[in-house]
Amino acid sequence: MFKNFIKISWRKIKSDKTFSFINILGLSIGLTITLLLFMFVMKEKSFDTMYANKDRIYRVIFHTTDQRNNEIWATVPAALKPEAQMEIPDIEKSSRLWDHDFGKTASIEANNEQFSEPKLYYTDPEFFQIFQLNFVYGSSNKQLERPNTVVLSKSTAKKFFGETNPIGQTLSIDNKRKMEVTGVYEDFPSNSSLDGNVIASFRSIGFYKEPSWSNASFETYFLLNKNADVGSVTQKMQDLVDNNVPKEDQWYSLALQPLEKMHLYSSEIKSAYSSKIGSIEEVRNFSLLALLILLIACINYMNLATARSQKSMKDVGINKTLGASNRVLILRFFTETGFVTLIAILLAFIFTVLAIPVFEGVVGTSLSLNFLWSFQFIVAILGIWVITTLIAGSFPALHLSRFSPIEVMQSGKTRESFSANLRKGLVIAQFSASVILIISTIVIYNQLEFMRNKNLGYNPDNTIAVSIAAINSDSERETLINQFESLPEVSAASMAQGYPGISVSGRSLFKNINSDDAISLQTNRAQGGITEVLHLKLLAGKDLPKNKQSEDSIVDVLLNKKAVDFLGISPQEVIGKNIIANLGPNAYVVGVVDDFNFSSLRSPIGAYAFNNGFEPLRYMLIRFESNDLPATLEKFKDKFKDVVPTSAFDYTFLDKNVEQMYALEQRTAKVSLIFAGLAIFVACLGLFGLAAFMAEQRTKEIGVRKVLGASVSGITKLLSKDFVKLVLIALVIAFPVAYWIAENWLQEFAYRIEVNWQIFVFAGIIAVFIAFITVSFQAIKAAVSNPINSLRKE
Amino acid sequence: MLKLEHIYKWVKSGGRRIFLLNDLSLNVEKGEFLSIMGPSGSGKSTLLNVIAMLDEFNEGEYYFEEEAIHELKPKKQTEIFNQNIGFIFQAYHLLDDLTVYENIETPLLYKKVKSSERKALVADILDRFNIVGKKDLFPHQLSGGQQQLVGIARALIIKPKLILADEPTGNLNSKQSDEIMQLFKELNAEGVTIIQATHSESNAEYGSRIINLVDGSVKKS
Repeated sequence: MFKNFIKISWRKIKSDKTFSFINILGLSIGLTITLLLFMFVMKEKSFDTMYANKDRIYRVIFHTTDQRNNEIWATVPAALKPEAQMEIPDIEKSSRLWDHDFGKTASIEANNEQFSEPKLYYTDPEFFQIFQLNFVYGSSNKQLERPNTVVLSKSTAKKFFGETNPIGQTLSIDNKRKMEVTGVYEDFPSNSSLDGNVIASFRSIGFYKEPSWSNASFETYFLLNKNADVGSVTQKMQDLVDNNVPKEDQWYSLALQPLEKMHLYSSEIKSAYSSKIGSIEEVRNFSLLALLILLIACINYMNLATARSQKSMKDVGINKTLGASNRVLILRFFTETGFVTLIAILLAFIFTVLAIPVFEGVVGTSLSLNFLWSFQFIVAILGIWVITTLIAGSFPALHLSRFSPIEVMQSGKTRESFSANLRKGLVIAQFSASVILIISTIVIYNQLEFMRNKNLGYNPDNTIAVSIAAINSDSERETLINQFESLPEVSAASMAQGYPGISVSGRSLFKNINSDDAISLQTNRAQGGITEVLHLKLLAGKDLPKNKQSEDSIVDVLLNKKAVDFLGISPQEVIGKNIIANLGPNAYVVGVVDDFNFSSLRSPIGAYAFNNGFEPLRYMLIRFESNDLPATLEKFKDKFKDVVPTSAFDYTFLDKNVEQMYALEQRTAKVSLIFAGLAIFVACLGLFGLAAFMAEQRTKEIGVRKVLGASVSGITKLLSKDFVKLVLIALVIAFPVAYWIAENWLQEFAYRIEVNWQIFVFAGIIAVFIAFITVSFQAIKAAVSNPINSLRKE
Repeated sequence: MLKLEHIYKWVKSGGRRIFLLNDLSLNVEKGEFLSIMGPSGSGKSTLLNVIAMLDEFNEGEYYFEEEAIHELKPKKQTEIFNQNIGFIFQAYHLLDDLTVYENIETPLLYKKVKSSERKALVADILDRFNIVGKKDLFPHQLSGGQQQLVGIARALIIKPKLILADEPTGNLNSKQSDEIMQLFKELNAEGVTIIQATHSESNAEYGSRIINLVDGSVKKS
């Protein structure tokens, strides 16, 4: 009997090709998206699961106090590791990680070649036991115990030294330090949060000998004992802080974050080293989106099934008089649906394989094809198949099979109202979902556009930051900046520790010498000319001085308005005042600049201070005008190489860096744009099929009306009216939901657009327009046909 | 074979009852070929549906081979119907997606008859009706008369004791119509009880007994 069902299913598919095409295409598009998003979600969830000790590995995280804005950092003081290892028996192993020069790109010389390396870390020897990395050359045992030793990832070793065994070779880092290569490890997998290409011994750096409890710049990992209690370890860490840091200096507390949470639950955590930070929100949103689109596709199927229900009902009636039971008929309808969804899922599988490269480009991560053959994925596919079949097949199976034969055969039309209403409901649901997607996409795009065009208070365009970390002498720096300034393209140049958009030093600004009242203050060591390069607006006083003697203990400070507001005086009054901000006893304000967005627009502007204090100058900031960018960059490179031939010319465009801050939003925008488009397409497929069916059903009516003198436009209007009405109802449902979703999403931004009525009007017009085009195509076709043909049938 | 006693069936329309069957009593013996005649709306189809247990009635008693149908649950009714009755429709009601062979085979599938036995039964009946050559065609490829032949073959395949035919020749020309009637007559001679509803005087004549329905009751003649 089952064989028979499948045979019938296949014939049904063949007998109405347009119908089947619409049905299967709609379903397979929906399934393709579901599969792609599922792969993405699985990839995100698979992060850091490859480490054998994963259940026992924790990262220490750092909570700042109220006065310090309640921030969470991924980095903690260097002194914690040795003390904790000694005092807390539950810690089996521990290791620190320091991102080279607080996160700056390193300039590495290897084999007489220059390389820029953004992923250089320093770590303790235990690191390799905690994470159990596989070594290609050398071993994980006793690795990095000597100062000035370094291990390389396999691909980096290849980049530096080719295929030869690099053990014993020497690297020079930023022209300052020579390091001996002692091992090569297998690259971190793409779903590992740890991402170092070059890992050097922690013992090479100054922080090893003098670890402090105040400089929280080190990611620290613990491998706990099997039965360790996280609560008690946390308590003991706090005890260590209490024992080592005077109460009044305790502006933080420590906690543990399990490795498995590191990838998806760290978007709030600042200063984490990994470049691969996921977001559980995004994973949830994408899962929801996948479900929504699958639902739209299923609704499509149901819609088309209800449209055909009149014929199906007749079949049900006949079969019942031939002795079919309800159970058999239910089974038959599910078989039919299952067969269609099976074809759709096989197609979807092919589409998925074809779409992976495109999708990877959109989401910016690599998805392994091997995943397609994994047990998990096969189970998921089977699961999706069953679920889709059950949802999509529920209407015909459960509704149609119930009818008694007499009802079905004699009065097929009277009970149609249920189908008709269901169909209306489904069209409304489908279009509501589509409109919600359209509005969300518009809101995301508008917000991105807003962020791109917002006046940041400084001008990041036509400005580059050239890394000068490898230059060690003041005179070389002076020579270089003079060389740059001599170029006609350059309009201003300055040097600084960092630039807006990257982290600089975190300090506290106190109200006065006797007060505990403080806010966190970002301090950026800079030189004169900084206001000119960044186009900052001076509210009072003047820029930092151009020159400063190295023995001069006076620190000149350029505050932003936010900082001055905190001090409670006017910009004019603050000039010449001594401020308390851990910048030494002689920190005096020389100028005040207007507020500017030095971090992402997600957060409000905080207090900021340029100063000519003591941090190293790592970047040369250059503002230029150029009609030929590559040529200009080439000139910069030549000048750079003239002065520092042994260092790599590494630079960043400030505006590109700003854009990168919104990579997540851009990804969300792209994904929703594509999926909203596809969802609407699928919804339209359904509408198209429905309209075709309705037109067919009303052929006789149309024929009669035409004989009575109705015009083509009149009939088109008649047929389109009902559908447009449904879409209008869908709009009414979708608008408040979309408004709520948009408001929710925008709440993450300190600087955001308002959701205005134009967006809704625009989305509404799109939806009605698309629906109208789709439906009227069929309506016109029906309207222009010769009425004699349609009436003769009867 | 079956006995209907004082059957009433009505529908409500605008607060009034409209009687489809009005105090109808009927006795059909085994081996009879009964023709039910009457104008449109006289209740012929309703009566056949009631006999087939496809439709309910409001009052009265119905015995099918001594079984009190009016006291049975719908499920049991369906079972009796499936075991004993073959139904032939005016509009043939063949399943469009199935071939002639498959249409005839379908009732056997629902009765869970074994594959080999099914093949033999279907082959027999195809042979008997002279439609072996058409077994792989779909209904829309056949003429009306041929479709009705398939419909009859499908009704006969379960070897029913009773055949109910609702205007079986209503859509056919007189030649085809005569052939079908001839076939009914042969079946009846083989012992199958037949009840047909018809408009046509000449078709009714094939029956061994004729009753006339007017407004839902048997007209006394």
